[in-house]
Amino acid sequence: MEKKFYLTKEGLKKLNKEYQVLKALKLSKLKGEGPKVLHSEDVNPEYLAFREDIGFLETRIAELEYILKNFELIKTPPKNQQNIVNLGATVTLEDESGTINEFTIVGNLEANPNEGKISNDSPVGKALLGKKVGEEIIITSPIKVVYKIKKIKYQIS
Amino acid sequence: MKQTLKFLIETQRLKEIPRTGWVLMRLEKPETIADHIFRVAFENWLLGRKKNLNVARLIQISLAHDLCEVYAGDKTPFFYWDGLKREIKEEEKILLRGVRLSQKEKIERSKKKFENEKNSLLKLLSFLNSKKKNEIFSRWLDFEKRISKEGNFAKQVDRIETLLQAIEYFGPDEIKGGTSWWELTEEIVDDPFLLEFLKTIQKKFYKRVPDYQKNKYLENSLDFLLKIGKLKRLPRLYWRLRGVKNPETVAGHIFTLSLMAWIFGIEKSNLNIRKLLKMALCHEITAVETGDTTPYDRILRSRSNEKEKILARMLRLSAKEKRKNFWDDYKIEKRALKKITKKLDREIKKEIFDLWEDYRKKKSSEAYFLSQLNTVAVLFQGIWYKKRDENFSTFSLWEWALESIEDPIILRFLEELKEYEKN
Repeated sequence: MEKKFYLTKEGLKKLNKEYQVLKALKLSKLKGEGPKVLHSEDVNPEYLAFREDIGFLETRIAELEYILKNFELIKTPPKNQQNIVNLGATVTLEDESGTINEFTIVGNLEANPNEGKISNDSPVGKALLGKKVGEEIIITSPIKVVYKIKKIKYQIS
Repeated sequence: MKQTLKFLIETQRLKEIPRTGWVLMRLEKPETIADHIFRVAFENWLLGRKKNLNVARLIQISLAHDLCEVYAGDKTPFFYWDGLKREIKEEEKILLRGVRLSQKEKIERSKKKFENEKNSLLKLLSFLNSKKKNEIFSRWLDFEKRISKEGNFAKQVDRIETLLQAIEYFGPDEIKGGTSWWELTEEIVDDPFLLEFLKTIQKKFYKRVPDYQKNKYLENSLDFLLKIGKLKRLPRLYWRLRGVKNPETVAGHIFTLSLMAWIFGIEKSNLNIRKLLKMALCHEITAVETGDTTPYDRILRSRSNEKEKILARMLRLSAKEKRKNFWDDYKIEKRALKKITKKLDREIKKEIFDLWEDYRKKKSSEAYFLSQLNTVAVLFQGIWYKKRDENFSTFSLWEWALESIEDPIILRFLEELKEYEKN
């Protein structure tokens, strides 16, 4: 079975842009030109990673082609299912001391736990999926941490 | 070359800065950032090869991922949390659980951390030419933004390594160990193979794991990683014999040599960088079993009353004595390596053994180049200590370097070291 990559609209836009930029970069490299495309100020610094490394550039282009053929867009669920944690949900949790912790569940390509975006395949993401407001969840093994779900919000862009 | 030396001088700090999380937990003499980097690199190699990832890239990402901390310091997520400052008396309590914040706060702190670390890294890389600078910066960025498969994998391995170290320091105990290391790890790891590795860690330390399916490769890799963790605590004997206080560890030395192999290797297009990096990582792992050794040990045992005289000069030995010493050491180290790698699977065991043996016998061009780099790395460290203590003599290290180095690039670096020592 082909692996599905879950993407938000914003994530898809970013990957599409990266794909276009890298293709242009490859073309200019093949023609022996300087990487003009990298001079534009709005270009993400991430493209720097490909400047020196044509092998890596080609691998990434192939990877992006694969992703762009096998993605599924994360959609806001219908109103009656918005009280359940699914991909795209921002979940507000409260621990036993009353401290708030928040996560947004995304696919693994957009995960960035430092920004609170966690992958649906991570243990924390898995523990949250399918849960409802008011439910108690245990999300850490082997040392248990108990949270209560305070709020579920869908604001997918 | 002057600039490369400046860059290396700055990175020396990583061998002295202890990792903040452990300092906050009031551990005495915890691992340094360089120690941490050493095992992250090995862990990435051992686990990444099973996923058919680009191991050279993984090692480079490992070496680059914390270089920003030369100036930015080791900032745990807690440092970007004002709560820690407000509740300083409760810091330990806070440390024992994960970072719990609203999404908005997480994004703000993450951006601040990224900018701070990026600027710090760029300041450090400003010493290097654009090729080296771009390569190191791109590996760091790959790690931070998880661009490639390797970047994404290494980010997760870095977190697992911190968890592993926490368990080694505090044990699986809930009160001391806290939940924070598990919490942060379980937020980040989503690679199926690494999730299995987490279960392997649980099985090893916490025994009961639901749905545990034995993975021999992972169990043996974990045991191996725990063994080589000893190198993070093993001070280099050469410096201890000469009275250096808190000298670099074996892991710290391996970090420096690996970094040098990378940045000098960039200029050697005829050498295989993947081989150089792996060889640097395993060139001294035998110390896990033998302890750190120096060429002086044997002679010091029989003439301990002449210690100062002996240490002041490079050993003068006949060709016959040198050959005998080489083979005696070789046999001891070979036995040690076999013991350390005993349980690893055949392929990786052979790879590590071949790399080590190649290095020991200087068979390939990579081995010959790396052994010269090793000499210069030790001399550099010696000069670093001399800068702090003028009584420290680098004489024997110069003797060693001048008779073993012939590579034109390393010889140019040697000239810079001469200047550095004088000024």
